[in-house]
Amino acid sequence: MLMCVLFTNTAGNILLERFQGVQAEERLHWRSFLVKLGTDNLSGAHNEELFVASHKSVYVVYTAIGDISVFVVGKDEYDELALAEVLYAITSCVKDICQKAPTERAFLDKYGRVCLCLDEIVFEGTLEHTDKDRIRRLARLKPIAD
Amino acid sequence: MRLLLALTLLQSAVRSNLQYAALSTLRRLPLDPGNPAFLHRAVQGIACADPVGVRHALAIVSELATREPYAVAMAVDKIALSGGTLQEVLQLHDVLARVYLARLCFILSRARVLDERPDIRSQYQTILYQLLLDPSERVCFEAIMCILGKFDSNERLEERAGGWVMLTTAILKFPDAPAPVSNSSQQAKDGAGVPSKAAKERPASRPRRPQALFKLVMRRLESAFRSPIRPVLHAAARVVQEMGKSRAAAYSLRGYAVDEDSHPDTLVDNASSDLANSELEQTDAEVPRNKVAPLSSASGGKESIHSMLSSLKEAVRTTVACECVYVRGAAIKALIWMQSPHESFDELKAIIAGELSDPSWPASLLNEILLTLHARFKATPDMAVILLELATLFATKVPGKIDSDVLQLLWKTCLLGCGPSGKHTALEAVTVVLDLPPPQPASMSTYHSNKRVMAADPKSALALQKLVQAAVWFLGENANYAASEYAWESVTPPGTALMMLDVDKMVAAASSRNPTLAGALTRLQRCAFGGSWEVRVVAAQALITIAIRSGEPYRMQVYEFLQALAQGASRHSSLEMATNGEDQGASGTGLSSILSPMIRLLDDVYKAQDELIRDMRNHDNKKQEWSDDELRKLYETHERLLDLVSLFCYVPRAKYLPLGPTSSTLINIYRNRHRIDASSGFNDPAVATGISDLLNSQLQYPPPMIEKDEPLVAGLSDGLWTGSTPAVDMVNEFLVGAGTDAPDVEEENALPRTSISYDDMWAKQLLEASENEDVELQSSGSSSPESVASYSTTTSSHFGGLGYPSLFGGSSTTNYSPWEKQLSSQPTGRVSNISMDLSSDQPPDYMGASRMGAQRQSDTFMGHSDSFDNLPDDMMGRVDDDYQPQETPQFGKALYDFTAGGDEELNLTAGEELEIEYEVDGWFHVRKRKPGRDGKISGLVPVLYVTS
Repeated sequence: MLMCVLFTNTAGNILLERFQGVQAEERLHWRSFLVKLGTDNLSGAHNEELFVASHKSVYVVYTAIGDISVFVVGKDEYDELALAEVLYAITSCVKDICQKAPTERAFLDKYGRVCLCLDEIVFEGTLEHTDKDRIRRLARLKPIAD
Repeated sequence: MRLLLALTLLQSAVRSNLQYAALSTLRRLPLDPGNPAFLHRAVQGIACADPVGVRHALAIVSELATREPYAVAMAVDKIALSGGTLQEVLQLHDVLARVYLARLCFILSRARVLDERPDIRSQYQTILYQLLLDPSERVCFEAIMCILGKFDSNERLEERAGGWVMLTTAILKFPDAPAPVSNSSQQAKDGAGVPSKAAKERPASRPRRPQALFKLVMRRLESAFRSPIRPVLHAAARVVQEMGKSRAAAYSLRGYAVDEDSHPDTLVDNASSDLANSELEQTDAEVPRNKVAPLSSASGGKESIHSMLSSLKEAVRTTVACECVYVRGAAIKALIWMQSPHESFDELKAIIAGELSDPSWPASLLNEILLTLHARFKATPDMAVILLELATLFATKVPGKIDSDVLQLLWKTCLLGCGPSGKHTALEAVTVVLDLPPPQPASMSTYHSNKRVMAADPKSALALQKLVQAAVWFLGENANYAASEYAWESVTPPGTALMMLDVDKMVAAASSRNPTLAGALTRLQRCAFGGSWEVRVVAAQALITIAIRSGEPYRMQVYEFLQALAQGASRHSSLEMATNGEDQGASGTGLSSILSPMIRLLDDVYKAQDELIRDMRNHDNKKQEWSDDELRKLYETHERLLDLVSLFCYVPRAKYLPLGPTSSTLINIYRNRHRIDASSGFNDPAVATGISDLLNSQLQYPPPMIEKDEPLVAGLSDGLWTGSTPAVDMVNEFLVGAGTDAPDVEEENALPRTSISYDDMWAKQLLEASENEDVELQSSGSSSPESVASYSTTTSSHFGGLGYPSLFGGSSTTNYSPWEKQLSSQPTGRVSNISMDLSSDQPPDYMGASRMGAQRQSDTFMGHSDSFDNLPDDMMGRVDDDYQPQETPQFGKALYDFTAGGDEELNLTAGEELEIEYEVDGWFHVRKRKPGRDGKISGLVPVLYVTS
């Protein structure tokens, strides 16, 4: 189960989040936990350098691209390596949309498209599409293949 | 022609889109086991052209396989396996699809229902092994985990052990030519090409040599540990951890031992590429759970399993240098699991010690590692000593970060599991915690190592105190078990002990007979003097527990000590009473209110023993038989003492002889004569919970002596002894609470408590009650001293409800001020009560009565005033008397305007008439004649704003 996808800026403000199967009160904990992880570790990190954390049987993989930090939280089959795949799909998609390593402004400019693509990648707590081409087509409401 | 081609392409595209959509939808549907159509469609999906569709199909099928492996195996065999579609999935570029494939293959290769179809099983097994070569770490690690038997959260030891055997013995033999052939034919049949690179990369042009699974896995893991990517490192460490778990399981189950003499050094893997040899093994490996390790017969391998494992461990060790704490945590867990009991663990110890000095470790991760130690111990009890030393490292280096509950769990498991020889070590590990610098600046000077931590972090000082408290409690509760010293198994007759009243001799005798218990006693005595008040309280209670449970001379030793402690404190008793027993600093121990009932109990026990000896001598001298009346009296004393003892800690009632071993014959005579069966009594649920004892025994007790100047305590105790229900409840609260945390004794004494459900019901009820108390305590506001409030909550939850509220409740809350006022108006009454307790000449009943009176009193403080409804009438009369201050209310007038600063407070207008209800810390709780503008009629106002 992919429990959470979260985007923050460098200051730790949450830009976009998707929770699945996490209670409202737990979400608060997760938000603060993830933001703290980011502020503790992501300063001075390379672009797309992967970081890992775990809490009991829940795994967290996170990275920074440009001004944006992306966190993915999962459990069961979504262990740290599967989460790395998910994160890769997300970051490559975001880079595609924002054309380069995104600034916060660029990210917010393309917010709608990022949301559409994210919904194609993560659907109801499972990873759906990873192929950039497919994601682009689906975000435009085109069939996968024609 | 071109049009036709385009049309075909379009058709296939549309079909693929639809297939994907259908499978995606199917995945969202709830699983429908037993529905052949559902299964059929899902299995069909495996051959779908869309990789995401295949992933969904495999996810569904693998999930179904856990429910109905046979049907799934048959369906997959028909459609996918024989056609080679599953082989194609191996080349599919969707990682998760291959992960699900690994799961599916694992489930089907282990399914019992397929026992008569070894051919099918081996096919799945081969695919699973092939997945070990997968380029993606995710898939490879999933396959390793599956082989190791780690599939879901249910850990089954046999499966784990079987997994280790399989990993170390199995050989990966690549499928021969037929697979790719059928592969392509299937592709042709399907029409819809499975993504591109599939068949090309796998031409099987030359047969690949079979390889030992273990070697493959090791190589893979070592290369993963060289990876710079943190998730890969973390995952690899986790896989090693699982490997260690399976290995430990294999060691613990003899039948699965990979090496016959259970020494990893002697195990030699013949993973060389000897074809003939491996084929021979292949046949063996195909039989699941092959218990015999065939490789031992074939020697001459290049590398032993042991050497490969140690090089892997080396790789894990280097990972500890990673800057990410979570990776380090996973690596340390892996090392703990890979540590075998016969190897030196100095290196592991050094690593952990070094890591713990790093302040960046989060508390949760440290506790997880402690839990790993716990799990490791459970898997291999031989390692108790090693693990306790590691746990001690945690306790000494980061006392502020670890949870005392987790540490206690570890101690307890080690103590119970490590056998007679390790008990002493287990207890030593606990006492090490007591040697940590107590969070008092005065005694800190002797300890230099943790001084910095203490000074730097008050939070960790508090945590350390909690830890010490937990350790002291643990020591009291388990010292007897660890020392195997029980009063009911002691051989020393009480007379002997009384004769050697010389303290030095006694201590010498005690330590020579049982150094473990003597050591524990010494530690506890030190704690009862030093440390914070909370620790002293727990230490005193631990001491009484030991005194009750041990025979002589330990009981005498504790008795002497408690006497000394109480006398030391009694000099300051008036001072302490005035402040409700709060610690006054270095002047007193602040324990007199706790010690007095304990000393009275021991007094009673010794007095009764004396009397018994005297009576026996008299009878012997006169050569007289014991009359029935005398026996009855003796039996009653026995039962009464037993009841009292049960209030302090759990003892096995059937075996425990408060009057000493000599009384057993006489009591047995009386029991036989009157057909009282000590053990059969427990079949009665009322007896099991201790109710009937108390209800019946009320007639046998002489009426308690009530002093006129103590209406509160005496009145309550009166209510108690007449057997009113709530009072009995509270006594049982003691009994139940004290009984829950003594599993060791219960194990020793195999007396079954048959009425479990009844017990549970009681326990539940009582627990709920105590929870309410906690809530009320916590909500009782800022006025109550924080230490006490937090203490009550921790004691009731952690320390099994040893009845602390009774002893401290009076000082904790200020909400029920009528009571408090009443108390403060009669401080002499309480002091005289306690001092009378100390003067050891009262009839024994009084002690219990006053103690329970205190309990009663504290409970009413805690807001249980509703239980007054159940008290008898005469009791109610007294209570009403006590409420007197409330009935003649005080009136006052507001001097100034006052604006309420909070919900509790009340707005005042100068000149307003008020009824003063009670006073709290410089505030009056007042009631107006009529509600104010804000609608509030009563609340708190500052004392200075009101004339009284």
